[in-house]
Amino acid sequence: MTKGLFRRRNAVSLQPTRSMTTIAYGILLIGVLISLTPFFYILSTSLKETRSLFSYPPEWIPSTLFWGNYAKLLQETEFVRWTFNTLFVGVVVTALKLVLDAMAAYALAKLDFFGKRAMTGTLLLAVAVPVAALIIPLFFIVRSMGLINTWWALILPALANPLGIFMLRSFIVSLPDDLGHSARLDGASEWRVFTQIILPLIKPGLVVHAIYTFMLQYTSFLWPLVAIQTESRQVLTVGISGLKANFVVDWGLISAASLLATIPITLLFIFLQRFFLAQNLSGALKG
Amino acid sequence: MPGTSELIRARRRQSLRRNLTAYAFLAPALAMFVLFLAWPVVMLFIQSFQTGGVMGPAKFVGLANWRQIFSDDLVRQTIFNTLFYAAMAIPAVFIIAMVLALCLNAIRIGHTPIKTILYFPTLQPILIAALMFTFVLHQDFGILNILMRAITGEPVNFLGNASLAMPTIAMVEVWKGAGFWTMLFLAGIQGLPRDLFHAAELDGAGPLRRFFELTLPLLKPTFFFSVVFATIVNLQVFDSVFVLTDGGPANATATTAWYIYRSLFSFNEPGYGATLSFILVLVVLALTIVQSFWFREK
Repeated sequence: MTKGLFRRRNAVSLQPTRSMTTIAYGILLIGVLISLTPFFYILSTSLKETRSLFSYPPEWIPSTLFWGNYAKLLQETEFVRWTFNTLFVGVVVTALKLVLDAMAAYALAKLDFFGKRAMTGTLLLAVAVPVAALIIPLFFIVRSMGLINTWWALILPALANPLGIFMLRSFIVSLPDDLGHSARLDGASEWRVFTQIILPLIKPGLVVHAIYTFMLQYTSFLWPLVAIQTESRQVLTVGISGLKANFVVDWGLISAASLLATIPITLLFIFLQRFFLAQNLSGALKG
Repeated sequence: MPGTSELIRARRRQSLRRNLTAYAFLAPALAMFVLFLAWPVVMLFIQSFQTGGVMGPAKFVGLANWRQIFSDDLVRQTIFNTLFYAAMAIPAVFIIAMVLALCLNAIRIGHTPIKTILYFPTLQPILIAALMFTFVLHQDFGILNILMRAITGEPVNFLGNASLAMPTIAMVEVWKGAGFWTMLFLAGIQGLPRDLFHAAELDGAGPLRRFFELTLPLLKPTFFFSVVFATIVNLQVFDSVFVLTDGGPANATATTAWYIYRSLFSFNEPGYGATLSFILVLVVLALTIVQSFWFREK
């Protein structure tokens, strides 16, 4: 056995023969191609006139770039508005949910109170309630509050799911209890312990939580479809899906919209890549 | 003794304070939880005994919704379709993601760019992924059909064919979801104790045996989360159906969530939709509980 065998980082399968490595690269190459092809194809489609789309064999790379689809999208639809709405609601939901979930997570992780076990169990079970099954009562509740067609209709129900509480709790539980004890002996209030000691220590957890919440909000579709009926207040996903509802479908327009819609979340991913990788999420449901 | 009772009183005060503090921390999140999650579930149950309510007040109809739902062929079909979809999509995405994760774990160069690219589809809203797939599946200009025409000479009507439509929806969801599960499994694999694998290899266990007898059993906690999470998410499949087939052809892709949406907005029957929703909640909760016992025992 050579020494090189044990040098590999993170290796589980220990002796990757050359042929195994080749197979691995081959499979990954196929995965990469399948992942990327639709993106390139809609990019190419969005730069063509819709009628040239139907010529066979297709022109993979348009010989002349046609910007009309993008011009139409930005001028004749409310695409910019939808993008703004999505980002605005996403940021508000993320900020509010971060505060609410962190506070609740701290109580569940480090404080003693009456009914703690029952509450933890109930909240854990509630994680499994499918949101799609709640749209009908939510519609009536939000309507009776007079909030249909407002941003509040998108923001408030998004704060209800307790998954984020457990995600943050798993970070707080692992901190030693002594941290708070000495501060409390010095007369610090629970709020100070929480904001000055706990929160700074779980920053990575807060970032993961924020990204997860924002992504969930950015990708949401069914609830905005139910709660918002005014086009100018709509979010990106529902707005774009409405482009397909015309009698003659403008495929060029839809390809341009789909491509542009991928940009904000892709940018976020590029900046915060190391937090995206989902391993921290799985800790949430274990305890 | 006055001293003891004072002590008890002081302790009570302290305990009251402790409880108040804890509940103050919990209150905002709990309020949202009760108002927009717990109360809607209760309301589902109440609405399942009602009819109407979109315009004008709801009327009490007793068990009519419940009686109707068990003899409704479309309901039966949506439940079958949803389970059929989940039975295709979940194993497919898990197997593909596991293969990709093992491959990523076996290579040395190019880790980060490959992971980044594999994650791109996962980032997109499923609605956008589904819209992108109209450009993959379309009979005239879909890239997959251009390929089909080149190979077989005939385009395939993926979404218009009743027996192909649901597998096609599953394909779209797998394309979108594979990156997420790949990263999750990869993180699981890389967190496993390496010594065990060295020992197994020294004992002569080949790569397949190591995978089935070490990797898979050791990843149990990851799988627990994955199976539970995937079940909850996939039994609500809606977005891709809404944009690609709207339940068709001939209700072949009508899922439970699609029917719930339609019962409110097209059929104007919120009570009936609430009944179906309540059943969906019960089914998902029951599955989750069964899965957690199953994983805890083994």
